[in-house]
Amino acid sequence: MLLVDIVLPGLVLGGMYALIALGLTLQYGVARIMNLSYGESLVAAAFGAFSLYSGLGLSPLAALLLAVPVAMVVNWLLYRFLLERLMRRSKDRGAQEIDSILVTFGVLFVIQGAMLVAFGGQYYSYSYLSIPLTIMGSTLAVNRLVALLFAALVGGAVYLALTRTRIGTAVRAIAVDANAARLVGIDVAALSGLAFAFGGGLVAVGGVLVSMFLTFNAAMGVIFTMKALVVVIMGGVGNVMGALVAGLLLGVVETAVARLVDPGLTLAATYALFLGVLLIRPTGLFGRAAS
Amino acid sequence: MTGPKRALLWCAGLALAAATVTYPLYANGYYLALGISVLYFTILATAWAMFSGPTRYISLATVAFFGLGAYTAAVLGETMPWPVVLLAAAGVGAFTAAITGLSTLRLSGIYFVIFSFGLAELIRQLVIWYEVNIHKSVGRYLFSAVTQDILYWQLLGLTAIVFLVGWLLGRSRYGLALRAIGADETAASHSGIDATRVKLGVFILSATFMAVTGAVMAPRWTYIDPAIAFNPTISFQVVIMALLGGAGSLFGPVLGVIPLVLLFEVLSATLPNHFSIVLGLIFVLIVMVLPNGVIGLFGTGRWRVPTGGPVAARAGTSDAPLLAVEGVSKSFSGLRAVDDVSFKVAPGEIVGIIGPNGSGKTTLLNTLSGALKPSSGTIRFGGIVLNGLRAHQIARLGLARTFQLVRVMPDLTVAENVAAAQLFSTSNGSSATASELLDLVGLGTVHAAPAGDLTYIDQKRLELARALALQPRLVLLDEWLAGLNPSELETGIALIAKLRDRGFTIIMVEHVMDAIRALCGHCIVMNAGCVIARGGPDEVLSDPKVVAAYLGDDDA
Repeated sequence: MLLVDIVLPGLVLGGMYALIALGLTLQYGVARIMNLSYGESLVAAAFGAFSLYSGLGLSPLAALLLAVPVAMVVNWLLYRFLLERLMRRSKDRGAQEIDSILVTFGVLFVIQGAMLVAFGGQYYSYSYLSIPLTIMGSTLAVNRLVALLFAALVGGAVYLALTRTRIGTAVRAIAVDANAARLVGIDVAALSGLAFAFGGGLVAVGGVLVSMFLTFNAAMGVIFTMKALVVVIMGGVGNVMGALVAGLLLGVVETAVARLVDPGLTLAATYALFLGVLLIRPTGLFGRAAS
Repeated sequence: MTGPKRALLWCAGLALAAATVTYPLYANGYYLALGISVLYFTILATAWAMFSGPTRYISLATVAFFGLGAYTAAVLGETMPWPVVLLAAAGVGAFTAAITGLSTLRLSGIYFVIFSFGLAELIRQLVIWYEVNIHKSVGRYLFSAVTQDILYWQLLGLTAIVFLVGWLLGRSRYGLALRAIGADETAASHSGIDATRVKLGVFILSATFMAVTGAVMAPRWTYIDPAIAFNPTISFQVVIMALLGGAGSLFGPVLGVIPLVLLFEVLSATLPNHFSIVLGLIFVLIVMVLPNGVIGLFGTGRWRVPTGGPVAARAGTSDAPLLAVEGVSKSFSGLRAVDDVSFKVAPGEIVGIIGPNGSGKTTLLNTLSGALKPSSGTIRFGGIVLNGLRAHQIARLGLARTFQLVRVMPDLTVAENVAAAQLFSTSNGSSATASELLDLVGLGTVHAAPAGDLTYIDQKRLELARALALQPRLVLLDEWLAGLNPSELETGIALIAKLRDRGFTIIMVEHVMDAIRALCGHCIVMNAGCVIARGGPDEVLSDPKVVAAYLGDDDA
């Protein structure tokens, strides 16, 4: 059953991609801030979960209750004291984007450096819910399925919050045109900060869940940032459901390439897919045409 | 500057140059190594700023090209003469840049950053895959007779070349073209600049320098593996150095390289574990405090504006129509914005295109200027079929336009905006220069101001001057009079009349009916994508179909 062997693990892997991309959908897709320290924040959350589990025996799912508020506060501070100034400094969207990329680069190194000092460069992992489960002849771990389930739940909740609530609608309005949103009485600075902080909270969810089944070290944040960006852009910037589908698609493609061609070429496959989507549909698979 | 002062500066410069060239003769090993670091980062940062400064495409692919160069040297270094190795590295860098540039330079902003970031990782993965599967060993040894002294002098020579090339580029029309693209790519291509080619050319040039630097540096390591050659920190360091110094000018990056190389040296000696924390904090500080770099503190040095050739309307040579539009349609997935439109424009004529909002007027102009490709139909301009030509090609043929939502290149001066449209002009008529054009539209006194500082009206004037600078045979004005107050409107109408008297042929999309009546000999009325009436202005404006299109039917 080669097909099942590719599709099931592919979907589980893709679920993880969708999970790690959720926070970025809010931070980049909605708050329109390109956070290049995204992956480092995610790894920091993973280290947090690891410390709580190995030090206090706290389960990762319980650790979420602590990690998410902390991440939200940290991200809000980051927005308030660094990014908001940049947003005010230039009116031009392009310049804002480049400034935020550059400043979050700096943040990337700070977080990474702090993790290197605290944990060194070696790999960490711990065992939680790593119970094998056989589905249709294909073996999967329970912790990965839990992560997949969370991705779907959190993704659905974010989608509903963005489309069905007043604040969600206001946040989407800012994403489309911040100046027009200001004209209709939306507090752009406050809500952008909120969206960014929420995105930070979702990063923490992703980091904690990923730590249950992945081996991680202080230097691998970049990989998560790249994967999340590819998923967000492929799904159409700001499109939560698109990110979910793009994540699953990417997981299946990578698994297929690893199984059928060469495991060393999965990254090449990722980029080929990414570039193909960008060149053919620059607004993403599910993005609306740019105005 | 006074004579003695200038002589003193020359002496200081020569002394500095002599000290730099003879440096290996008096510096010991440690300081020589430091000098080598300063030089190779100077080359990388200057080459980076050559492309990324004016275009603002933040590239994180520096290490991709640097690493390819180093690997080329490692593979060929022991079998080929050194100059051949350097040439091969340049070739590999240029080739890779050409391929990746062709596919990625149409991505802008964040997409380009991400892709360039990924490109370095991708190339590293491919090299690892090749080394593991084909070469069967991840690392390579490179033994060569290159001493530290020779390495230093090679880098010094390369530094001189990169500055020379950067200086020549800044003076050439490609330098201004690149800045025009960075400011507004659409406006630049409608000014006759082939944006793709200019960007690609400079990207390749910059990548070539990076690759050669990698090859020159390779002997320093003796042992090379992908983790050394493709260390992503190099890309980040180059960006932060160029930004600290100021990426907008030729000598900016070097002002960032020297302090940061020294700082990194001190840091890695004293605080090796906290290196990246400090690096990150410096990065954040630079972006927050010095957005234009160190050199920005001294005021921005502007490039010299190349003086353009003289400007005039190119006279039509025959009575044949200048523009012939036949059955042109444009659909956007089912919506027919322009539906089977045909008309002709004779030389020297002003044709008005009117119609309610959303009737397809601007879409029609966009198909004429090459911003959009028509779905069907033919457009002939002076006998040449325009279908399928790109915006800059059409502009160079002498078809200029202004935009409904005004597009000037905000960071360029008024004079540079006009000069940008003359860069690739092929005709050689004669009657007005760029400054005469600015006088013509009433901007003669503000030629040195950044275009972004102009008022809305003046930006519209500037756009018109830029369009005229192409020496157009046909000018498309897209609601050029919209938003003017009554007295400005009068001046505007007089200006267009003056252009007509000079022999320009004009198509104007306009809602100001007084202007249409005063200027146009012939009008086309569009509604829902179709032409519903044509003829003299008074004739069409009293046509019941036209009245119905604007105001609705009687019984509506």
